[in-house]
Amino acid sequence: MQLMKDLKIALVGNPNVGKSTVFNALTGSNQQVGNWAGKTVERKVGTVKRSDVNIELIDLPGTYSLTAYSQEEIITREYILRENPAAIMALVDASNLERNLYLVLQILELTPKVVIGLNMLDLARSSGRNIDAGKLAQWLKVPVVEIIAAKGDGLSDFLDAALVMAGTSPQAAISVNYPPAVEEKIVAMEDVLRPTVWAQRYPLRWLALKRLERDAELGKEWNSIANTNSVADATPACCDVGDAVTYELRSSTELPGEDLLQTFAASGWDHEQFEMAFADAKYSFISEIIAEFVTETPLAKPSLTDTLDRLALSPVWGYPILIAVLALVFWVSFIASAPLGDLISQGMTWLANMLVPILRLAHAPVLLQELVKNGIFAGVGAVLSFVPQMALFFVFFSLLQDSGYLARAAFLGDRFMQLMGLHGKSFFSLATSYGCNVPGIMATRTLEDPKDRLITMLLNPLIPCVPRLGVMSAVVAAFFPGSRGAVAMLSLLGISGITLVLSALFLRKSVIKTEKSSFVMELPLYHIPTLRNTLLPAWQKTYAFLRRAWTYIFAASVIIWSLSTFPLGVPLNQSFAGKLGGLLAFIGHPLGFDWRIMVAIIFGFAAKETTLSTLGILYGVTANASHTIAQVMTASMSSLNAFTFLVFYMLYIPCIATVVTTYKESGSLGWTLFGVGYNLIVSFIIAWLIFHGGLMLGWH
Amino acid sequence: MERMLHHLLPGEKARVLHIAGGGALRMRMMDMGIVPGTELEVVRRAPLGGPMQLRVKGYYLAMRRGECAKITVDQPEPKQPLAGR
Repeated sequence: MQLMKDLKIALVGNPNVGKSTVFNALTGSNQQVGNWAGKTVERKVGTVKRSDVNIELIDLPGTYSLTAYSQEEIITREYILRENPAAIMALVDASNLERNLYLVLQILELTPKVVIGLNMLDLARSSGRNIDAGKLAQWLKVPVVEIIAAKGDGLSDFLDAALVMAGTSPQAAISVNYPPAVEEKIVAMEDVLRPTVWAQRYPLRWLALKRLERDAELGKEWNSIANTNSVADATPACCDVGDAVTYELRSSTELPGEDLLQTFAASGWDHEQFEMAFADAKYSFISEIIAEFVTETPLAKPSLTDTLDRLALSPVWGYPILIAVLALVFWVSFIASAPLGDLISQGMTWLANMLVPILRLAHAPVLLQELVKNGIFAGVGAVLSFVPQMALFFVFFSLLQDSGYLARAAFLGDRFMQLMGLHGKSFFSLATSYGCNVPGIMATRTLEDPKDRLITMLLNPLIPCVPRLGVMSAVVAAFFPGSRGAVAMLSLLGISGITLVLSALFLRKSVIKTEKSSFVMELPLYHIPTLRNTLLPAWQKTYAFLRRAWTYIFAASVIIWSLSTFPLGVPLNQSFAGKLGGLLAFIGHPLGFDWRIMVAIIFGFAAKETTLSTLGILYGVTANASHTIAQVMTASMSSLNAFTFLVFYMLYIPCIATVVTTYKESGSLGWTLFGVGYNLIVSFIIAWLIFHGGLMLGWH
Repeated sequence: MERMLHHLLPGEKARVLHIAGGGALRMRMMDMGIVPGTELEVVRRAPLGGPMQLRVKGYYLAMRRGECAKITVDQPEPKQPLAGR
């Protein structure tokens, strides 16, 4: 029997070229989604079985270039250099050939084992562009396969070509002609670098180009090589391994080629000049070869994208359409889905009620029965009831992203995000948070700059989600009847909006310390999303949420239940949670909160919509109707107290699901804790200002 | 005639001469195909001072006006079709 061979093949391409379509079609459901180690970029691996090979297909993040300016770029090139895949499938958008080939040329500098998949030829043709794929293959000296990813045409051939490439020893790749003045400098740098350890690991020309650009990642890399090497060949006499400072100094002064770089810089050739010259040469090369195999015929009528954009980006209709789209997404995902969510929580209650008699029959202790019913099933059930809304939202999210409308929303929303120092793409994430913070935070994945992502992530919890708005409106209705209610609600939203804007500016300036984000974004052509491309990512994201629900949220539910149950047999105010509320009453005192409010605030951490029922128990209301509870509260609280509570409630730590999501998406416990602390402090300060301001103005 | 890109109106075409500034932003612009010599067309300007939509190398790119202000372009002399001027 023949042994199965294992092969690694990587899929590379610009964003929006249909890479995930190709990946999903080739791997089907055999894929694993995770994050790249230490990065906040999604990592997708799938397996494909061919007669005698097991292919590990890796979907590298969509990127425009392979410099060291973004996480996606670094991941892509590190993967190609370190993992040395047997072949690279480069997906190229035929309707956008110049910019796509720019990436292909950079990949060819790393490895010649490239196969090009020329996608969207149909779109290119309909925009009057005819491409001779055979000539493209001749010019680039790599195989070119024509495909239509959306229909699945040519995908099998594309993979076969990659397998053939994997089995042959490749010829030398084509190289771009640099102007003589640049070429001689590249060669000089090659000579300097040839004897170094670097040259054993990486293609020499690429190394020289990157060194001339003063590539930051390469510098870091050198430091680590220098370190491991000196440790490896450490003779007893040399090297105190612990002396990191010496290494740091030595390696930073001994980065190869430094002298040469200084000489070049003195003659006006600094690293930016090189970056410019290299980009320029690549684009000139592309325009030269493109003239050989592309024929353009100008179109008489505007393309579909032009027509749609005339509407979607129109000064008159752009914003109304955006609002209508957002309203539809919101209504379906967060409001119309409510019965489904209720069904799940009822199902969980039903399951718990089924399970408890069985436990009783098995003579399980009463405490265990209680834990199962009120701890696990109630707690996890409360979070699971959000699954339908998440799933629906993620379906819309994929639809918007795949169709190309999400980029239009960013284009229109950018003006407002600019006021907050944010990127246009933050707009959709923040808007989503009004429905639920969890998908809002997950939507930050579309942001490329990690700092923009982090800031947007930390801002999300300040936005009141649908459950919070529900509790708020019930309390507002009880305390501020009639038209005063609308004023109270609007002022609450106003407070949240102002807090949001000021926090965005504060976080960027003082905490994360980064420049205002830049906005250079492709507006892709509109596409009709495929069913698989819509449902698969939606399922993957929902599943990720479910997995978290079963681990972290399960643990948190048990903890909260224990706090409110022990010591056994006491009323809630005597339980640990009640005592905690009593202990924390001194914090609530400056805000006019009594211990009951403090307890409700602590429990709100599990899920914010439970706040009213907690208050109901504390105020001794047996009926579970939110309005009754709020009515009872009016007897023991002034309207100023209530308003202060609402402000605090709106802004303090969001639910546990949000915190867990922030942790998973940011990959940093430190920033997650910072976010929690920031929310607590900000909500306290603002609530304090409101309360004392109100007292001074004589409002009761 | 030399102009700054953010002054161009929808429908106007020009050729890139120079990109000011440096670092990640300029690199990003170059990755997106904006290098000296590239032909650009302003498709539209978002209302209220929002970003500009450009046509570059056959695709659409959105950039803020502040970023467009870093790009010097060369534009063929207008033919002065307005008799009134």
